[in-house]
Amino acid sequence: MELIILPLILGIIAFFLPTNWVRPFGLLASLSVLAVSIVHLMNFDPANYVLILNPAEVFPLGLTFKMGYDGLALVMVLLTNAVISIILLANWNREISSNARFTGLVLLMQCALLGLFTSLDGILFYTFWELTLIPIFLILYWFGKQDNNRALFKFFLYTLLGSLMMLLSFIGLAYFSPNFSYFQLVQANFDGKAVEAAMIMGGILFAFAVKIPLFPFHTWQAPTYTNAPMAGTMLLSALMLKMALYGMIKWMIPIGFEGLVYLKWPVITLGGIGIVYGAIIAMKQKDLKTLFAYASISHLGLIAAGIMLFTVSAIEASMVQIINHSIVAVALFLCAGIIEDRLNTRNIDDLGGIAKVAPHFGFWFAVMTFISVSVPFTAGFIGEFVLIKELFTAHWVIGITAASTLVFGAVYMLRAYQGSMFGPTKVTVFKDLTWNEYAVFGILTLAAVGFGLYPQIIIDFIKPSIKFTQELMAGDLTFTKK
Amino acid sequence: MDAVIIIFITGLIGLFVGMLKKSELTLAVTSIGLIGGFISMFLINDYESIFSTYAGLTFSRTQQMFALLAIGLTLLAVLMGYVYYKEEDEHTADYYGLILFSLTGALCLIGFSNMFMFFLGLEILSIPIYVLVGIQKGNSLASEASVKYFFTGSFATAIMLFGIALIYGSTGSFDLNEIRMAIDMGMSHSPMLNIGVLMMMAAFMFKVGAVPFHFWGPDVYQGSSNAVMAYMASVVKLAALFAFVHLFNFTFNQLTPFVSGLVLFAIIVSLFLGYISALKQTSFRRMMAYSSIANTGFALFAVLNQQFGEASLWIFMIGYACSTVALVTINMIVEKDTDELTNWKGIGYSNPLIGITLVISLLSMSGIPPFTGFFGKYLLLSSAFANYLPFVVLAIIASLIGAYLYLRLMVISLSREGEGQKIKMTAIQALVLVLCLAGVLGGWLVLLIK
Repeated sequence: MELIILPLILGIIAFFLPTNWVRPFGLLASLSVLAVSIVHLMNFDPANYVLILNPAEVFPLGLTFKMGYDGLALVMVLLTNAVISIILLANWNREISSNARFTGLVLLMQCALLGLFTSLDGILFYTFWELTLIPIFLILYWFGKQDNNRALFKFFLYTLLGSLMMLLSFIGLAYFSPNFSYFQLVQANFDGKAVEAAMIMGGILFAFAVKIPLFPFHTWQAPTYTNAPMAGTMLLSALMLKMALYGMIKWMIPIGFEGLVYLKWPVITLGGIGIVYGAIIAMKQKDLKTLFAYASISHLGLIAAGIMLFTVSAIEASMVQIINHSIVAVALFLCAGIIEDRLNTRNIDDLGGIAKVAPHFGFWFAVMTFISVSVPFTAGFIGEFVLIKELFTAHWVIGITAASTLVFGAVYMLRAYQGSMFGPTKVTVFKDLTWNEYAVFGILTLAAVGFGLYPQIIIDFIKPSIKFTQELMAGDLTFTKK
Repeated sequence: MDAVIIIFITGLIGLFVGMLKKSELTLAVTSIGLIGGFISMFLINDYESIFSTYAGLTFSRTQQMFALLAIGLTLLAVLMGYVYYKEEDEHTADYYGLILFSLTGALCLIGFSNMFMFFLGLEILSIPIYVLVGIQKGNSLASEASVKYFFTGSFATAIMLFGIALIYGSTGSFDLNEIRMAIDMGMSHSPMLNIGVLMMMAAFMFKVGAVPFHFWGPDVYQGSSNAVMAYMASVVKLAALFAFVHLFNFTFNQLTPFVSGLVLFAIIVSLFLGYISALKQTSFRRMMAYSSIANTGFALFAVLNQQFGEASLWIFMIGYACSTVALVTINMIVEKDTDELTNWKGIGYSNPLIGITLVISLLSMSGIPPFTGFFGKYLLLSSAFANYLPFVVLAIIASLIGAYLYLRLMVISLSREGEGQKIKMTAIQALVLVLCLAGVLGGWLVLLIK
């Protein structure tokens, strides 16, 4: 339980700290939460569920307040804590990180995310899902570009619409399950009512699709990213989107597999469209942040399509890819943030020749570019390769569509890199990296290469959870056939 | 029973103490009376009353919960009024006296078990409100509001009385149980009964402020002082809604198929009309008036829920009333000459207490968990889910419009432009805010106890 309470308390403390204490406090706080989660990791056996909150009775409304984690959730918990620390480190030399409200909100956000990943109760999951929205909204509003209300409202209301649909689905689920405990929900008995199941799952899927975002629901993303402060963009793309992917693996597939059979191909198709669409739009972008936003649609379309294949190796590869995307997102938005910070512009047309003035930045940006186009020996290579193979096995058309991401990805990333770093020298003054930026790039590279060489370390943790999911799916299938 | 008497006598004492023009003293007397009423209501089943029980006024467990909520909310309104009447002490006595009399009526309206007590409660509740609305005599808006409310309200009461008469005519009784039995025995298709029930429903719609009987709302809210507005939006609405739900779920439960269409119509129209009209308002009070119309729409789902209607309504109302009282208190703090929303700019950013209360109240009203407003809406919608799914979906869409409305207010008040702004807030106002915050944050925990 200390895992969730600790960031909450630290976050509340952060609001009341004097300005010059905030920065070290924030970093130390996030590192201490990371340390706590590593202690949890040390004592963890992937075969078991660890319940951190387990009241025996069932409260009215079917509330059970169960919280706990399996391997899958623990991986996400560690990812959250690590990424939050990295985000605070990346913002170390910026004014924003000495703002008490910012640090407090980031820690509250961390609390909500950890709650989401460890909740084992439907209503609790929904509660934390909504709660994450409040700190990120305030971060975007207070520290983003001024006069960005339009984009903000769009973001908030779009995601809220998604959540409300999810709420409707949970209300519907209550008719098929005695209470909202995760272990009861996964055994929800739809009694062969596959259409009802598909509708209920559709509502949940809609919430996830908005958050990921899948192709036709992505319109909130680019304006939100471009108006957000660097830290906000990182939080959104490295952590908040992962909530939806995690939700698909952990909640959606085990609960309503009967209904998902109908939604499998629509979602895979949308993912496929997203892969190509995001990439093509990204190729045309001049603003670095918008470019990376669309690139993210392309990458996440692939992951979402992979998850919907329901096969063990596709889901494992998706998990690897989820972690890889967090690394890539932090890295790329840090690069865009560094350029914006030094030059007050992100437009590729105004950039050029930065590598000459700032060779160290040029080098690290190149490394990050290669990680994001998933060259071999990085985590992205393993993830994408297996996903594309699995999609190809399912159907060759989707396989070829998905494979185009490799080509397109290289095109837009290399174009962005070349346009800003090389070419005619338009930028003459550019302060090279500071120590914290070196540190962030170093950690991210180590992580990407580490997971690229030995992805088994992730897979070992999540294997039992996915096996559990598979057994449930098999059970559901036999039931439907009966 | 004791609670009603204690509160009534406190009201009388308050009238005389108020003449001394010592605001603190009046507040103390009134608060002690209210707390006394609260305790006696809380322990209602645990001690022998000195008064003999009257069959027309009984408090079951649910009714007791509603009565406790009404007394608590009145205490908040009284505390709010103190700040105002400290400066303008001309009508101190009237305010404290009338609000307690009105609460007496509200308690009768909550505890009624025959039509006679019901009508009495409704009148004792309404008449002091007509006066309270117009208590700022110099203000022409207040006079307009008072007169408007009085005329339309009396008309609604007349219709209500006519409805009661028709029901009496067709069932032969004033007692709720006997009416229910008469309906059970095959009266449910009698035209006289149906017309009577329809008339009662129309009058109820007026009292709770649901579309299409909502026109008085914005004008009356705009004309009244902040404390009275808070009282109207919380206690009056609570009592009227409870009576509505209690009558239609308990006494007229055989007629649900007959009234459900009309109620659903009122719900959906109230939700959309309320929220969409609220979007256009630049004045805080008018906005709150329309928002209260929309929230009434939500609350009316309780009428369709035989089993948990009253319990759901309780949870919903504690969330709604606490948020509304908190917002009105904030309006009282920031109000300058007018109640334009521009006054709100940046107040949440410069004052943390206001900021937190405001954000949590607004989020609760938008239906975001884990605040009380969410659980209220969840209970109301989940019970309607099986039978009225399309309407639940419509309600969800409307609540999205509502979320936009509240989000806009939140964005205005959290603007960074307010940095360094000085806001004067008295300790009493801070106390009201903290109490409301506690209600919004923790009201739903009652669910876990029951």
